[in-house]
Amino acid sequence: MRAGTLAAPPAITDTDFQKFAEFFYRKTGIHFDDGKRYFVDKRLIERMLATGADNFRAYFVALRFEADGAEMQQLVNCMTVNETYFFREAYQFDCLVNSLLDDVAARKPPGSRIRIWSIPSSTGEEPYSIAIYLLERWARIEQYDVEILSSDIDTTVLKAAERGVYSQRSISHLPPAYLRKYFVQQGDGDYRISRDLVSAVEFSRVNLSEPADTRRFRDIDIIFCRNLLIYFDDLSRRVAAEAMFDTMSPGGFICLGHSESMSRMSSLYTVRRFPDAMVYQKPLEA
Amino acid sequence: MGLKRHADSTATLHPVEPRDYPRDQAGLLAQLADADAGVRRWAARDLAAHPGAATMLCARLAQERDASVRAVLFSSAAALGGTAVVQAMVQLLRSEDPALRNGAIEVLAHLPAAVAPHIDALLRDGDSDVRIFTVNLLGELHHPQVPRWLQQVLERDEAINVVGAALDVLAEVGGREALPALHAARRRFAGDDYIAFTASLAIDRIEAA
Repeated sequence: MRAGTLAAPPAITDTDFQKFAEFFYRKTGIHFDDGKRYFVDKRLIERMLATGADNFRAYFVALRFEADGAEMQQLVNCMTVNETYFFREAYQFDCLVNSLLDDVAARKPPGSRIRIWSIPSSTGEEPYSIAIYLLERWARIEQYDVEILSSDIDTTVLKAAERGVYSQRSISHLPPAYLRKYFVQQGDGDYRISRDLVSAVEFSRVNLSEPADTRRFRDIDIIFCRNLLIYFDDLSRRVAAEAMFDTMSPGGFICLGHSESMSRMSSLYTVRRFPDAMVYQKPLEA
Repeated sequence: MGLKRHADSTATLHPVEPRDYPRDQAGLLAQLADADAGVRRWAARDLAAHPGAATMLCARLAQERDASVRAVLFSSAAALGGTAVVQAMVQLLRSEDPALRNGAIEVLAHLPAAVAPHIDALLRDGDSDVRIFTVNLLGELHHPQVPRWLQQVLERDEAINVVGAALDVLAEVGGREALPALHAARRRFAGDDYIAFTASLAIDRIEAA
C-alpha cells in the first residue's frame, strides 16, 4: 500500500465467487447461488481482512491448504445463519409430547432409553425447548431415560448454546411461568438458562455432509432437523436424509421445517400424520 | 429416569467400533455384499469418496434388492459422477425395473455436463422406451441445450409416445423459440387427438407467458 492512499477493500470477482461456492459446497453441502452473492462476498471479505490476505487468491490458497482447518471452521461459522428462538414452530413440540414420544414408548419397556437429536442446535433454543416440553408436558418422563443430543457445524454457536444466555427476543415466545422456572434474568437484561437444562443436552459439532461425523450417532428415536436442509442443494439434501436414516431406530421420527418436504428429498421415509403435525418415519421393518 | 444428564456418562455417543472389513475401497466393495442392509448402506455411502469404485458401485445396483441400499448407491453414484457413472446409468435406462430406470434418470439429472455428450445418441436409440426415458431426463436436466434437444424430438421422432413426452416437457420449459417445432409436430401428427391436445396446450402456455 502506498503512503497517503487508502487501501481498497479486497474484491470478489464472478470467477472467485464460483470457485469459492464450488469449494464450499464440496466441503459442507451448503449451496450458494448468485442470489446469495452479497451475503457471501461480505463474509469472505471480512475473513480476508481478518487473516491479512491481500486478495481472494491468497486467501483461497491458504484456506485450501491449511493443515489444521481452523480458518475453514471460522468461515463456516460466518456463512451459516443462526436465527432462532424458544418454542419456534411449537406445533411440532406439541406433536412430540402428544404423539411421537408415546408412539416410541409403546415399543420400549419403561426404564429404557429414548434418544432425541436436535440438529442444527444453533445457539441452543431448540434443544432446550425440547427439554422444557419434556419436563412440563410429557407425563411419562419419569418412566424413561431421555437423552437429548444436539449438533451444529458452527463451533461458535455451540459454545453459545453451552453458555445458555439469551436476549429478550429469544425468550419472547416462552410462557411466563416457564421463564420464571428455568431462567434467571441477569443485570444486563439477558436471561441465563438453568444449569440443569444445560447439563441435560449433549452438544457436539457435526457436518451432515461428512459420513465420519454422523457415524457416531445411532439409535436415535426422534430427530428435529428444521430449516437446515433448505440451505443444501438437491443431492446434498438427499445424502443428508440418507445419513440420518442410518442414525435412527426403526420406527424413529424426523421433524422438518414447515417449508421442507422429505418426499422431495428421499423415498426412504413414510409420512405420518398426527393431530398436531405431519412428520416422517423410518419404517419399522428397516 | 427423566432427562439424562450427559455428565453422568461419557458414552452417550456411539463409539466407532472395530470393523470386520477394512474401510478402504476393497473392504467397502466387499461390504456391498454383506447380509446386513445397514452395513451395505454404510459401505455404499463411504464409497462416495472412492472414484475408483464407480464402476463396481454402479454394477451393484442391478443386484441390490433393498430399496434403502439402492437409494444410497444412487446417491453415491451421483456424488462420484464421471464417465463410468454416466455410462452405467445410460445402460440402466434399458432396465426392465422402473425403480432402476427412475434412479438412473435422477443420477443423470445431477450430471448435466457429463451426460450432455450422450443425449444425441440416446435420442436416436432404436428403442422408443429409451427415447422416452431420455425425454423424461431432459425434463430434469439443467442444461442450456434442453430446449433444442426437445425441438429435435418434435421435428424428427416418428413415435407418438416419444413426441408426446417431449410435448409434456416443453409445456413446462419451452419458450417462444419452440413454437415453430410445436406447430410442426401438430401438423405432422394431425390425425392424433392426443398430440393435437398436448401440442395446443404447450402452445397456449408459451403464448400466454
